Amino acid sequence: MNNHNSRSLIKRLALRTMLGALILPVIAVGAEPGAAAEDQSADWAPPGGRIGYVFWDEVSWGIRETPTKEECPEGFNIGPREQFAELFPKDGKKRTLMETQLMREAQVWFPDTKPDTFEFHEVASKYALGVDLDGKDSSEDFVSDDGRTGIDNQLFRVVGCIRNYRREGELGIINTKWRQQNPFNRVTFELTDVDSLKNDPEVTVSYYRTLDTLLAGPTGNYLPGGTQRVDARWGKRFMASTKGRIVDGVLETEPFEQLLVPEWALSDPAYNIFKDARLRLTLSPEGAEGVLAGFIDIEQWYYAMNTSWATHHAAYGQASAASMYKALMRLADAYPDPETGENTAISGAMDIKLTQVYVIHPENEEQTLAASH
Amino acid sequence: MTRSSTIRGLLALGLAAAPMLSIAAAQSPWPDSPSMEQEKYEPVPMPSGFQVVVSEQEGPVFADARGHTLYQWPVRQLRNGPVGERKSQPSCDDTKYTVNSGLMSPYPGGFELPEVETRPSCLDVWPAVLAEDDATPVDKWTIAERKDGTRQWVYDGYALYTSVLDDAPGEVNGAISGTTGEVGARRPVQVPSMVPPQFRVETLLVGRILTTDTGQMVYASEQDAPDESRCDAACLEKWAPILAPAYVTARGDFSAIERAPGIRQWTFRKQPLYTYIGEPMYKMYGSDEPGWDNVYVQYTPKPPAAFTVQESPTGLVLADKNGMTVYRYNCVDDALDQLACDYPEAPQAYRFTVCGGGDVERCLESFPYVEAEEGANSDSQLWSVMWIDPMTGKRAMPDQAGALRVWAYRERPIYTHFRDKAPGDMRGDTWGEFYGYRNGYKAFWLRSDFGRRLP
Repeated sequence: MNNHNSRSLIKRLALRTMLGALILPVIAVGAEPGAAAEDQSADWAPPGGRIGYVFWDEVSWGIRETPTKEECPEGFNIGPREQFAELFPKDGKKRTLMETQLMREAQVWFPDTKPDTFEFHEVASKYALGVDLDGKDSSEDFVSDDGRTGIDNQLFRVVGCIRNYRREGELGIINTKWRQQNPFNRVTFELTDVDSLKNDPEVTVSYYRTLDTLLAGPTGNYLPGGTQRVDARWGKRFMASTKGRIVDGVLETEPFEQLLVPEWALSDPAYNIFKDARLRLTLSPEGAEGVLAGFIDIEQWYYAMNTSWATHHAAYGQASAASMYKALMRLADAYPDPETGENTAISGAMDIKLTQVYVIHPENEEQTLAASH
Repeated sequence: MTRSSTIRGLLALGLAAAPMLSIAAAQSPWPDSPSMEQEKYEPVPMPSGFQVVVSEQEGPVFADARGHTLYQWPVRQLRNGPVGERKSQPSCDDTKYTVNSGLMSPYPGGFELPEVETRPSCLDVWPAVLAEDDATPVDKWTIAERKDGTRQWVYDGYALYTSVLDDAPGEVNGAISGTTGEVGARRPVQVPSMVPPQFRVETLLVGRILTTDTGQMVYASEQDAPDESRCDAACLEKWAPILAPAYVTARGDFSAIERAPGIRQWTFRKQPLYTYIGEPMYKMYGSDEPGWDNVYVQYTPKPPAAFTVQESPTGLVLADKNGMTVYRYNCVDDALDQLACDYPEAPQAYRFTVCGGGDVERCLESFPYVEAEEGANSDSQLWSVMWIDPMTGKRAMPDQAGALRVWAYRERPIYTHFRDKAPGDMRGDTWGEFYGYRNGYKAFWLRSDFGRRLP
C-alpha cells in the first residue's frame, strides 16, 4: 500500500496516538505498574523489542555554551552587514553594484579559501559536545563534560562564536520551529532487537524520513506515544541502518555510512550529509537526547545553509557565509579530496532531542488501520 | 535477531531500489491526453478596447485591443520599505534610475546599476494603458490622472500596463501570477474564474487546479459516470463528496447531482467532486490512489518531449532528458522601479554573479543551458527554442559562431545544475539572492508534498 494512499488513516492514527499517549506510562512500567515511575533506573524492554524516537528539537550545531561565553574569549564574529559597512564606508565615494553587493554575493555562492579580510573568532575551549569519531585523541580534540576524551567537533570552532548558531540566534529559534512544524524535516530513528533499554550489547538502529505531525504538548514540548509512518516514496534516499549498543541507558551506535538530515528552514528543501554518523543518546521509554555526530560534508552543509538562509536572514545572526567557508575549509578534518588532498568534511555534532513514537511501516499500515477500528 | 528481518528487508529493498527507481522517469502529472477545454470565467463588464484572453498558464487574463496581457504593480512592503503603486496612483514613469534603492536588506542603496547607460525607464518596458479623452469608467474600470497629465486605465484600483515582452495574444511573458518572493513584482490581471464560492482555482505549472475555498485539493474518480457517483460505502471511507447547497443550479462547468435524498454533490464537467479524507491543505496525496485524479479547469500544454518528470525528496520536478532537474532563473533589480533582469535582453551581470561569481565560463559549468536538439520546437506559447550567445547571455543570431540553441520557458532560458548528480537531486533550488527569487534559481516544481502552499 502506498504510504500516501493511507491518508484516511490519519484520523484513526490520531486517535491511536492519543490512546498511545495515555497508555504509554502503563507500558513503560511493564509488569509492575508504578514501579518505573518511582525508580527511573529500572530496566525495561519495549514491546516487541522495538521503539521509535522522532527528532523534534535541533538544539544547536553541537555548541557548548557557557553563561560567561568563555568559549569565545575574543568575542563574537561580525556578519554580512558589518563586513559590508567596513568594506564600503559611507565616505561619499561612488561605487557600482557590481563592485559592492554583487561582489559580496559572488563570494557567498562561490567562496574561496584565500585568507579572510576579516578576523575570524574561533572557539577556544577544552570542552565540547560530541563523539570520538576517529578513535584518536589529538591536540585539536575536545573533552566532553562527562570526561570522554578525543571528542571530534571542529564545526564547534567554526560556528560557536557566531550569534546565529547560539541560543540567542535566529537559527536556533527558527530551525527548531521548522524541525517541529515542517514535515520535510521529520526523521525518526527506530531501535529494534531491544532486550533492555538499560543494557543491550546489540540493537539495530534504523533511520527514516517519516510523514506525520508531532504530538504537541501544552508547554511547547512534544509528547511520546505518537505514530510516524515511514515515507517509502519521497524518503527513500534518507533510509539507513546500523548497529548499536546500550550501556547504562546510553545508546552508542556504530557509524552509519551516511545520514541525510533534511533541513527545510526559511525556504525550500535542503539536507545535510553526515558521513560515518554516530548517535550517542540517553534513552528513556518517553524520549531520547544527546548528539548526532559525524563528518559533515562541507560543500553540502555550506550550500544547505545558503539556500536556507538568505544573506538578509544570515545578517540578523551575524553569519558571514564567505568567512565561514574559509573557516570550514581551514578546520576540515576528514575525507580528503583524492585529487587536491583538501579535506572535504568537518567533524561536528548536532545536539538533539527526540520523543518516543510508534513507527508504522508501509507493510503494516493496513494492519494498523484494522487495529485502530 | 529474526525480529529485525522485516525491517532489514525493507531497508535493503529501499536502499537497493532507490537508485534504480530514481533513474526511471516518474509518472507525469499530465494525463496522456489532457483535456483541451479552457477555463471559464465570470462575465466582467469592460470598456470598449479591452478583451479577455485565455492564456496557457495563467488562464483568463485581461488584454488590450491587440490581445496584449494587462499587468498591475500593487504596492508591497519589502524589507526596507514599500515599492509598487498605491491605488489610483500610477508611479511608473520615464525616470531612468541609475542606482539601487536599498530596499533589499542587508544591502544599502546608492550604488550604480549594471548597464546603466542603456537601462530603460519603467515606461519603456511597461507601457501605460492610456485612456482616450472621451473614455468613461465602467464598473471596476476607472481612470487615473498621471503626473504628466495623461489618463491611465485602472482596474480594481491599480493602474494598468502592458509588457514589451508580449507580442501575441495569450502571451504572459511580463510576469507570473505565482509566488515571487521578496521583490516588487508585477502581476498579470486575471479574470475571476467561474467557480462557485466553495471553490478556488490556483495556478500550477501543470495547469489551473481546482481546490476548495479552504485549500483542499479536489478530486474526480475514473469509476464515476457522467453525473453519477459510484463511490460506495467502502469508497466513502476515504473520499468525501463535496456537498452542494440545495439551491444550486448549473452554471458554467459546475452543476450538482443528488447522491441521496436531499444530499447534493458538486460536479465539474459532469464529474462528481470529492476531497480526500484527512489530506492536509495543498497536498496531492489523493492523486496517488489509482483511478483518482486532481481536477484542473485547464491544463498547460505538456512540456516538449525532451523533458522528463522525476521524483525528488520533496515531490515531482521537471527534468531534462537525462533526468537532471531543470531550473528557472528569477531576477528583479533593486532600483525603485524594480525592473526584471531575468530575460536575455536584460543585464546579465546579476545572473553571472550567482551562477559563476562573475565568471562566465564558470557560470556555463555550474548552471548550463538546457540545449535543444536541432529541429526541436514547440507549438506552445510557454515553451520555445532560442539562440543564445553563451559568453554574453544575450540572444544570438542562428548563424552566429558559438551560439547555443537552448530551451526557454516564457522566453527565458532554463538550466540544469552542476551539483545535481542523479535524477531527483535538487541542489540548485533556491540558489541565489533571497531564496532564488531576487536573483537566483528555482527548481521547476510540479508537485510538492512538503511545502506550506502549492509549488
